[in-house]
Amino acid sequence: MTTTLPTPGHYDVLNAVVLKQMAAGAAVSEATGVGLDDVDAILAELAGAGLVFMAGDSALPTDGSAPALAEVAAERYAELRTDPAVLAEVDRFEETNTQLLTTMTRWQTVEVGGRQVPNDHTDPAYDEKVVARIDRLVQGLGPLLDALAAHDPRFALYRQRFDAALEAVDSGRGEFVSSPTHDSVHTVWFEFHEDLLRALGRARTE
Amino acid sequence: MGDVLAEGYNVFNTNKSPEGVIKYLGAPQDVIGLIQSGKLGEHILLVRGGTTTFLAPALSMGAIGVITMSGAPESHLGILSREFQTPCVMTAYLTSSDSRYVVGETDDSHFEEIARELDGKRVRLDCTDHEVGRVVLAD
Repeated sequence: MTTTLPTPGHYDVLNAVVLKQMAAGAAVSEATGVGLDDVDAILAELAGAGLVFMAGDSALPTDGSAPALAEVAAERYAELRTDPAVLAEVDRFEETNTQLLTTMTRWQTVEVGGRQVPNDHTDPAYDEKVVARIDRLVQGLGPLLDALAAHDPRFALYRQRFDAALEAVDSGRGEFVSSPTHDSVHTVWFEFHEDLLRALGRARTE
Repeated sequence: MGDVLAEGYNVFNTNKSPEGVIKYLGAPQDVIGLIQSGKLGEHILLVRGGTTTFLAPALSMGAIGVITMSGAPESHLGILSREFQTPCVMTAYLTSSDSRYVVGETDDSHFEEIARELDGKRVRLDCTDHEVGRVVLAD
């Protein structure tokens, strides 16, 4: 660990802020498993070091956040980056990610007369089909999450968050599919993808 | 319709036609500065990619319109813009230029040209077409 991120907890908290882009301490605590008091103390340290910007109760990343994480990740995940079990699943994930994004778009829109229009969610059969597809894609992440958690147990937290989001959807709360203001499947998926890329030392492709 | 400065994918069809001065955001600090300025609602936000993650706070705090220079409507930012109902034109190109974005083949000069030409201009977004989003010079 570096002087700016002296402990794994510092990395985890800053990582959560960068993944969420704007987050209060409670959300960071929930996503990382770090206790709220510790999160608040670490956020204060990170703000002092210029690695987060506090806007009221919320922390936002600064230009220095991602480089600081990348430096630590290179050391922390050196073994993960060369683990064949991880890399094999990562290759599969890239295809799964494309399918998930397309499926999310199908949740938000429906095709009528060859045109995409907003999904007003009045066709339960359509929505159930889309949700079933999303559920299958999420379940398909299991082996990758297991492989990652073997190197860093915090990756197992994503399974809990996916399960909670899917349970909410099953109970009729459709906003847990793609709403950015909830810990929805899309929110968790996006954060996981970013987290994965940082662990691997890779950049996103458009 | 006034002069169309740029066109791209229309992420979703809407009669909202936000008008504002284009502001290019290249880094997280730019977003923080914009939020601190209290003038978020006066700008159409221009970013480089559809996977630009640092834009999320601006969207959640009421950004009125977004233009990207790469990325597809199915990307993360496209999904967010539909959720927030923020009009969004993606992979915009200048109508005055032959340069087009091609995945993996486009160098920085393409993005720099668009940012240079659009940044600071007062425009409105026309997102009424099912496929094409337009950046129109405001009167």
